[in-house]
Amino acid sequence: MELNRRSVLAAIGAGTAAAALAGCGGGASSAGSADGPAEGEITLLTPIYEGANGKTLLEQKILGGFRKKYPDVKVNVDYTTYAQLNEKITTGLAGGLLPDVLMMGVGWIPPFAAKKAIAELPEELATAHDYEKRVLEPSRYDGKLYALPVVLDTRIVVYRKDHFAEAGIKKTPANWAELRAVAKQLTRNGRIGFDPFSIELRQCWETFLFANGGQLFSSDGKKVLFTDSRGVEALQFFKDLVKDGSADYARKTDIGTPSNVQTGKASMMMTSSALWVQAKDQNPDLVEDDKLGSFVLANRRPAMLQGGTLVTQAARSKHPAAARALVEYLATPESILGAAEQRGSVPGLRDLDDTGYVKENQFVDLSLQNLQHAFSEGGTAAWMEIREKIKPTLEPAIVGDQSAKDAIAELGRLAEAAIGRM
Amino acid sequence: MGATTVVKARPARPPSPPEAPAARRTGRVRSGPGSRRRRAGMLMVAPALLHASLWIGLPVMVSVALAFTKYDVLTAPEFVGLANFRDMLDDAVFRKSIVNTLLYTFFTVPFGMALGLLVALALHTGLKARGVFRTAVFLPQVTATVAIALVWLWIYNPGNGLLNTLLSFLGIDGPAWLSSTTWALPSVILVGIWQGIGMKMLIYLAALQSLPKELYEAASVDGASRVRQFFSITLPLLKPATFFVLITSMISAFQSFDQIYILTDGGPANSTTMMTYEIYKSAFREFRVGYASAQSLVLFVLLMGFTLVNKRIMGGSRGHN
Repeated sequence: MELNRRSVLAAIGAGTAAAALAGCGGGASSAGSADGPAEGEITLLTPIYEGANGKTLLEQKILGGFRKKYPDVKVNVDYTTYAQLNEKITTGLAGGLLPDVLMMGVGWIPPFAAKKAIAELPEELATAHDYEKRVLEPSRYDGKLYALPVVLDTRIVVYRKDHFAEAGIKKTPANWAELRAVAKQLTRNGRIGFDPFSIELRQCWETFLFANGGQLFSSDGKKVLFTDSRGVEALQFFKDLVKDGSADYARKTDIGTPSNVQTGKASMMMTSSALWVQAKDQNPDLVEDDKLGSFVLANRRPAMLQGGTLVTQAARSKHPAAARALVEYLATPESILGAAEQRGSVPGLRDLDDTGYVKENQFVDLSLQNLQHAFSEGGTAAWMEIREKIKPTLEPAIVGDQSAKDAIAELGRLAEAAIGRM
Repeated sequence: MGATTVVKARPARPPSPPEAPAARRTGRVRSGPGSRRRRAGMLMVAPALLHASLWIGLPVMVSVALAFTKYDVLTAPEFVGLANFRDMLDDAVFRKSIVNTLLYTFFTVPFGMALGLLVALALHTGLKARGVFRTAVFLPQVTATVAIALVWLWIYNPGNGLLNTLLSFLGIDGPAWLSSTTWALPSVILVGIWQGIGMKMLIYLAALQSLPKELYEAASVDGASRVRQFFSITLPLLKPATFFVLITSMISAFQSFDQIYILTDGGPANSTTMMTYEIYKSAFREFRVGYASAQSLVLFVLLMGFTLVNKRIMGGSRGHN
């Protein structure tokens, strides 16, 4: 080949691109060992422990205890939110700077475990504490343990007892037909009967899918199962509520702002146990006067979505023993109770069932009593892609003219394509 | 800036010393003042060239290469040929994002330019306290979009927002601006127009201030009205500035991201999603970096196409010497 300026430049260009691509793809590795003493400087990425209170709880109380136990480990905390967690992890992986310990959501373990980005944990950690039976399920992939639960965030229905009494309604709805009738009955004077939309639409629809006897994927995560009539009916139910005027997509509230049930603009809403803490802070009279009640959504079966935050260890940590020690410590009853209290979440350990916090927060109590009806999202290695598609694909059916059947079929097609790419 | 070329006569260039025949043949000049100047010039542009190669050239090359791969950050890229582009043809949301981006550009660019020119003309005519007005108009340009979007979130709040409160005084029940598939995109477009006026105004103002006064004096003597002067002198002389504003505004509109991210998250029902937002979602939320690179390539080609068409229509940024 003749060596001229053009050919040299072309070779340099191709070489650079190849080197860059090779560098980009260095994420895969096997699970790291955690032998040796726990020492070194590690980073924790967390989407919880929000605000000044959360920071104080984590850095002073929880990590204070950890420092006493492991004085040779220094923990740097990288705070983020669930909205930005994906970006943090993606950029961390691309730049080879993935934090040593990561907190992530339910459904996130299979995608990262399948790609060997997180380390497998020893099975004995699953029995280190008295976990509720199904609490550890979202922490597993392919039968192996990859994470430990920190807090659970269940999805339940909260209602206004005073609105029910006003309308002469004596019992909470036992199925969707009753729920629709009650919502219609409670819709009056500018108030909507039911607000299912103030939580993430994805999680809301999933709860209805589970309550209708449906499921998202096959147990091996390779088949889409939500495209049957149960998934369509779950979406159609939202359309029916909107048609009745007893639910309004435009009247959803943002996270952290007073919810429609708190302000009296709705009589029922889908929410999490965190609403108890929020109401106590923003409308203490509602709690003191016992105006808030809660129940588990039911149709073909009762169902409660079990979300939450799990703690896991990066596969390529430079200090695996220190990272493992932190994972274990963040999953101890003391750490869990603090995080649950701060967020209004559900602790998944039986050891904590008798604590004052669990007894005081009625929504947490209801969630713990119904953990046998809990279902989790995810279950496929393609979840990170599919979870982003659910809301924008289902939304047109609720706010537009698209049928529930078409929207679910479209979502099914997208999910199958995502699984096919794995 | 283009406007400068309109009025400033170019200084006469000193004649270059004749090159030796051998040097002309090889294209190299080994010595002499010309060679030294060239070397000094190269030395001065070298940092910028190095920066551009490293931080623009290399990522562009990698991005183009990744467009033909399946790459999820976690595992090494795998060559898939044109599969990403085929997937894009089936991607209804990406098609919707192209339509939304074109609509957003179609409304924000001309309206923003017209308003920017109007404000610049007002400030050019010797308005009192024009410094204050200029700052006020330019302020959105230098304010973080996050802060701006938070203010607009409150303005658009259907319950207690400024807009619906004002409408209620007129007896109008305002919609849920950002939650309605009908109103969300126009609401985002309005924010885009408002935010972009400052920069357009500034460029037009600079161009207006450099226009030759003699032409206006001559036109006045000939009895041309102010309107006639505007259409016959000002607008033609502003052509290079208009071209510059048009191109930069279009690029900026095609790259709009922040306001979508904060105001609507692309919703409801994808009614406000844009190409850049879809690229971001593919890469950072869905871990489809190869697909996102292919989407970026489409955005690049679209932008390049529009720029060339505009250049053709407007005759580029040639001055009117």
